[in-house]
Amino acid sequence: MNVALSRSFRKDAVTLTEHPFIPFDNEDDSLLFEKLQEQVLAHYPNPERKGCPDPAVLRNLIDNPSDVTLAELNDLHIFKCAECTRLLIELREKKKHTQASE
Amino acid sequence: MRLPTPADLCWNVKCSPDQEWIERTLRIAVENVWPQALEAAHSRNGHGSHVVEIVESAIEHAVCRLKTGDPLGPEQVTQLLQRLVLQEVRRRRRANGRMVFVGSSEELPPTTVRNPQIQIDCALDLEIILQGEPPDVRLALLLRYSRFRWSEIAAALGTTEAAVRLRCKRAIERIREQQEGEQHES
Repeated sequence: MNVALSRSFRKDAVTLTEHPFIPFDNEDDSLLFEKLQEQVLAHYPNPERKGCPDPAVLRNLIDNPSDVTLAELNDLHIFKCAECTRLLIELREKKKHTQASE
Repeated sequence: MRLPTPADLCWNVKCSPDQEWIERTLRIAVENVWPQALEAAHSRNGHGSHVVEIVESAIEHAVCRLKTGDPLGPEQVTQLLQRLVLQEVRRRRRANGRMVFVGSSEELPPTTVRNPQIQIDCALDLEIILQGEPPDVRLALLLRYSRFRWSEIAAALGTTEAAVRLRCKRAIERIREQQEGEQHES
């Protein structure tokens, strides 16, 4: 099936309906990322917090994700740090609770 | 090198009372074979530091053979042991053919690191999997990892959900493949 892609103002922006092959209905990759988190928590302990970004940066990532750069996060460090992963999960859960109570 | 006593080298030879001749003849054979084993280890491996291990391995094989056959005299056992020692020297030489030994393990400093490999051998290395991915894909995946929904990630990056998912599709497929591979291995 050929699907003609209409470009919007951003070069790579395409609308949802143009890509029916992406399984949106029942698959948002949650399980994959949960599994990844489990693996990082189990296999990458970093009690000395070597290479960790400042906790303020992680808070900012949760509150204003568009303001944070990869450099501030020390690139993909979080994917190899149980401490950062744990803090991110906590911050994200806190934010969800706050949003739910508002 | 100090000549170990036959008792040193035959320490793991255990025979039933009716096969005591094995231990007796092996002790004589070890005494006969030792100088030749040392020389063979030196000339073929470049050093004689493993000669004890080589002779012990040969003794082990000799015992297995002697237990299943008729009793032999010291001369015949010596010949058998000689052959097995040379086989073991050749086997070790082939195994180490591509390795270069510099110094010995005794010269290494003591270390408290046990084996860091054990800790991470079953974890995915996302840094390697995502090597070469553009920064927006890396950031999007970090946000998804931080439990943002795809729609929120799209909003943060100033694009649409479909676009951001399409951009990350290939990287996610690679992660899935690696994860499935790891699960199959474990």
